[in-house]
Amino acid sequence: MPWIIIGVGNRDRGDDGAGVAVVEALTGCATHVVDAGALDMFNLWSETDDVVVVDAMRSGARPGTVRSFDVRETPLPGETFASTHSFGPAAGIELARALGRMPTSIEVIGIEAGDLTVGVNLSPPVVQAVHEVTRRLASA
Amino acid sequence: MTAESSTREINVDYLARVEGEGAMYLKLDGDEIIDLQFAIFEPPRFYEAFLRGRKPSEAPDITSRICGICPIAYQMSSINAMEFAADVEVHPQIRALRRMLYAGEWIESHTLHVYMLHAPDFLGYESAIELAADLPEVVTHALRLKKLGNTVMTLLGGREIHPINMRVGGFYRTPTQSELDTLVEELEWALGMSEETVRLVSGFEFPDFEMPYEFVALHHPDEYAITDGRIISSEGLDIDVSEWTEHFEEIHVEHSNALHCRLRERGTYHVGPMARFTLNHDQLTPRARAIADEVGLAKGERNPFKSIIVRSVEIVLACEEILRLIDEYERPPEPWITVESTDSVGHGASEAPRGILYHRYEIDPGGLIADAKIVPPTSQNQSSIEADLREFVGPRTQMEDEKLKWQLEQAIRNYDPCISCATHFLDLTVERVN
Repeated sequence: MPWIIIGVGNRDRGDDGAGVAVVEALTGCATHVVDAGALDMFNLWSETDDVVVVDAMRSGARPGTVRSFDVRETPLPGETFASTHSFGPAAGIELARALGRMPTSIEVIGIEAGDLTVGVNLSPPVVQAVHEVTRRLASA
Repeated sequence: MTAESSTREINVDYLARVEGEGAMYLKLDGDEIIDLQFAIFEPPRFYEAFLRGRKPSEAPDITSRICGICPIAYQMSSINAMEFAADVEVHPQIRALRRMLYAGEWIESHTLHVYMLHAPDFLGYESAIELAADLPEVVTHALRLKKLGNTVMTLLGGREIHPINMRVGGFYRTPTQSELDTLVEELEWALGMSEETVRLVSGFEFPDFEMPYEFVALHHPDEYAITDGRIISSEGLDIDVSEWTEHFEEIHVEHSNALHCRLRERGTYHVGPMARFTLNHDQLTPRARAIADEVGLAKGERNPFKSIIVRSVEIVLACEEILRLIDEYERPPEPWITVESTDSVGHGASEAPRGILYHRYEIDPGGLIADAKIVPPTSQNQSSIEADLREFVGPRTQMEDEKLKWQLEQAIRNYDPCISCATHFLDLTVERVN
């Protein structure tokens, strides 16, 4: 598995921790957790890497829905990835694009969040989705 | 934007360059300001309540969670208060390490604000990303500078966000000389780059605007105050931190969830880089002073839009100070000393990137925290922000809404207001009655 996997989110905010849970379940590849300040996320990869970013999303879909976005050429859809910090992954990716620091390939996997209450665990549909995404990445 | 003959409203959602949930409301009747409020609707966070019953040693780690941008400030002010309560003084080299760590936070916080949050205003960009597309080299350097601040915090604080190495009485572990030396090369680069930053931002166009602020800042006899000092003001206030409540009061206003602070005698005052620069001008480090002189930034500057220059000068100062302290470093004999107190009151203040952060704790006879009070800089500056907005709008009521909105947002960002590290949302409304 030659990829760099980046999990974005806060494990203390319920389903916001989905991306972090995926990264924690993966072994044998380069993984990183970004819990705040995705601004200079591009420092985690080089131009020749294949990158996957996993993050919780709020698109209005059913909790646990998994969507994949190829952001190498196209920005993430606006405001789907609501970050609790000023510069979320969408901004981090666009900053990388503006600075010519995009990797060879970059995919963002969004897991629709349900419960973002402080201090709660992942909700059952999101646990399911985390398993699904982890399996997909581990077998790639 | 909706436009009608009698009422005009502008709403801006998701303004990503203010920290926290806030709003500005302006109501105009012709040239007359009917109402103007800078509101903070971030919900109360009850930190002061859940500190009660905790051990004094827990205060730095609990309060550092208040802010992801300036956690060192929260740790330092609470540590100062606990050491005050116990009447102990730490080793000079422990104090030096605290200053280095704190200067790292200044570099990180100031760089983020200068380049990513404030510069786009002056250059006409909606965000730092557009700025990066046009000036990639500038933004690349800014990110490298910010990363250095994070590196300093990681080395001395254990990690860059919510560091865990500083404690009441000292540090859990002090660094070796060779560990500190790894910072030197990058700091020397940063010193030059931060001087370039001062030159860059001083070339921006600034609205013609000045305010008769009463500046309030910490003052230390030997250095540009960062970690501690007495509280002084441009109107002659000169008090020990323990006299805070005799001179300052907090008032609840209906439109804001954060308390407004006032000087009991004179009301509104101003804390932050502009206050420090003027009140501690004599203690600027050599290169900080030289670059300020070069760009014509003088003691007593009262145009808040020029705070971006002052912040940049303070980045120069922070780099110089860390380099000096590394050069003079001797690893202290003990990483920390025991600090215990019962039935006492502790006061502590330090200069957070945005201004004075004051903490007060009552320790009960059993040695636990009985009461806590935390006064952050943004709450102290709320009245000053409103005063600026009111004064700024006065001669500009005929300005078209979009331009007025842009400049008012910029006026708010002059303060780098840190409402919290939660969702970032500013809802700005201008209503015209006639």
